[in-house]
Amino acid sequence: MSYVLAKSQNDDIHKAGECGGAVTSILKYLLDEEIVDGVLALSPQNDVYDATPTFITESDDLLSAAGSYHCAPTMIGDLVQKYLFDKKVAITVKPCDMRAVEELIIRHKINRDNIYLIGLNCGGTVSPVSGRKMIDLFYEADPDDVVSEEIDKGKFIIELADGSEEAVKIHDLEEEGYGRRNNCQRCDVKIPRKANIACGNWGAEDGWTFIEINDEKGQELIDGAKKAGILETKNPAQGAIDGREKVEGIMIKMAKKVQDATYPTVSEMDEWSRCISCYACRDVCPICWCFENCELNKPYFKDEQNIPPTPIAFQGVRLSHMSFSCVDCGQCDDVCPMDIPVSLIFDKLQKKYFNRTGYVAGVSDDIKPPLYSPEKTEL
Amino acid sequence: MADDLKIVGLLCNWCCYGGADTAGTARMQYSPNIRIIRVMCSGRINPSMIFKAFQDGADGVFVGGCHIGDCHYDAGNYKWSRRSKIVEDILEEFGIEKERFRHEWISASEGEKFQKTMEEFHNTLTKLGPLEL
Repeated sequence: MSYVLAKSQNDDIHKAGECGGAVTSILKYLLDEEIVDGVLALSPQNDVYDATPTFITESDDLLSAAGSYHCAPTMIGDLVQKYLFDKKVAITVKPCDMRAVEELIIRHKINRDNIYLIGLNCGGTVSPVSGRKMIDLFYEADPDDVVSEEIDKGKFIIELADGSEEAVKIHDLEEEGYGRRNNCQRCDVKIPRKANIACGNWGAEDGWTFIEINDEKGQELIDGAKKAGILETKNPAQGAIDGREKVEGIMIKMAKKVQDATYPTVSEMDEWSRCISCYACRDVCPICWCFENCELNKPYFKDEQNIPPTPIAFQGVRLSHMSFSCVDCGQCDDVCPMDIPVSLIFDKLQKKYFNRTGYVAGVSDDIKPPLYSPEKTEL
Repeated sequence: MADDLKIVGLLCNWCCYGGADTAGTARMQYSPNIRIIRVMCSGRINPSMIFKAFQDGADGVFVGGCHIGDCHYDAGNYKWSRRSKIVEDILEEFGIEKERFRHEWISASEGEKFQKTMEEFHNTLTKLGPLEL
């Protein structure tokens, strides 16, 4: 593991990127050298609230995907599994994406040799709807005028078309019920250390990207991009490394506080009683991969007359299948038509599992979660 | 002794099922509430089987396997022992008392232990009463 500061040698990319354009440069290097068939990254459609995962195969199209999109929380892990299994892809991953990819690799649904994971440090994402509302309420700006946004030093910063910037403390936003999504507020994995490299602005100087190189493949990436003349690097000062560590530490501490406050308050049985059996949480879950063969569809569990379903036979079965691997991406909260805090309950169970086994979904090095390993140990 | 409490017992073919057999051939008396389902190994039991039993009206679920180290398939009971912890964690979330779910290692020669366990489990469930989901 080592650290570098990097910035793009390409002026267009340097300008378009959030901090130095290192990520876009590395992606461009991978595409130009034909190391990968394509890049899976978020790309904005109509506005900054509407970024969708896009499979980019031409390096000229990369520029449109540069920048950060906190208001477009999408899960990329399951897309690779479903549509890009046989392709060589570079994927930009926030920590929960990385964890989902890791969990899917364990399940043999993604081939590690086929993918490059370009990690992005993540302090949290904002749902597009509440993001718009929040900008409307707390900023003196029209949500439609926002051309870019970023999160830095505990503030949510928006940039308008005329170049002016506005910042509001995330803490203040969250006190009013806006700000980051609930699952992001309690997420304690902020740096994707299982990705080949983890990039971000924490600890970085202006115009540079701070990169943590996590493995050999990551080192090759950086060396290759440097050789191709698209990336410039230098060693970060000790102060920068400490600064980054401090930011991460504060974020994790805040997350733990939220965890302690929210886990005990959820009353599962009341929440489940609203369930309408739409299966949306299962369908969107990146870890639930056996759609046609899902046990919930088997005649012995299928119970369409009964709404809400018997919790133990619906949510209970799902919990037993994958709660220990829950990566807390919050997609299930987003899709639930009845606003059940699904991810909170699943994440709570994963934490319980962690307390028993020390296994953190998508982060621990175990080849298999303890539940499935052939090892001769008891808990 | 007859009452309406239903116990579903999932017993491993090689040990606990044999234990139940031993109890039977030795004419040991125990409460008749248990419905035994024979499985080849405790390691093949999914948490969802336990949940299905509770959903369909079981008041208690018992799982019996070989003693650690005696598994016919080498490590099946280790797998079950880890899985059982997850079952306990999940049952707790659904308001099902953890005493309603029990597992025990019983060898084919331990008919007496099977009898004793059944009696104990039945007593526990009698105290708890029928399960309402």
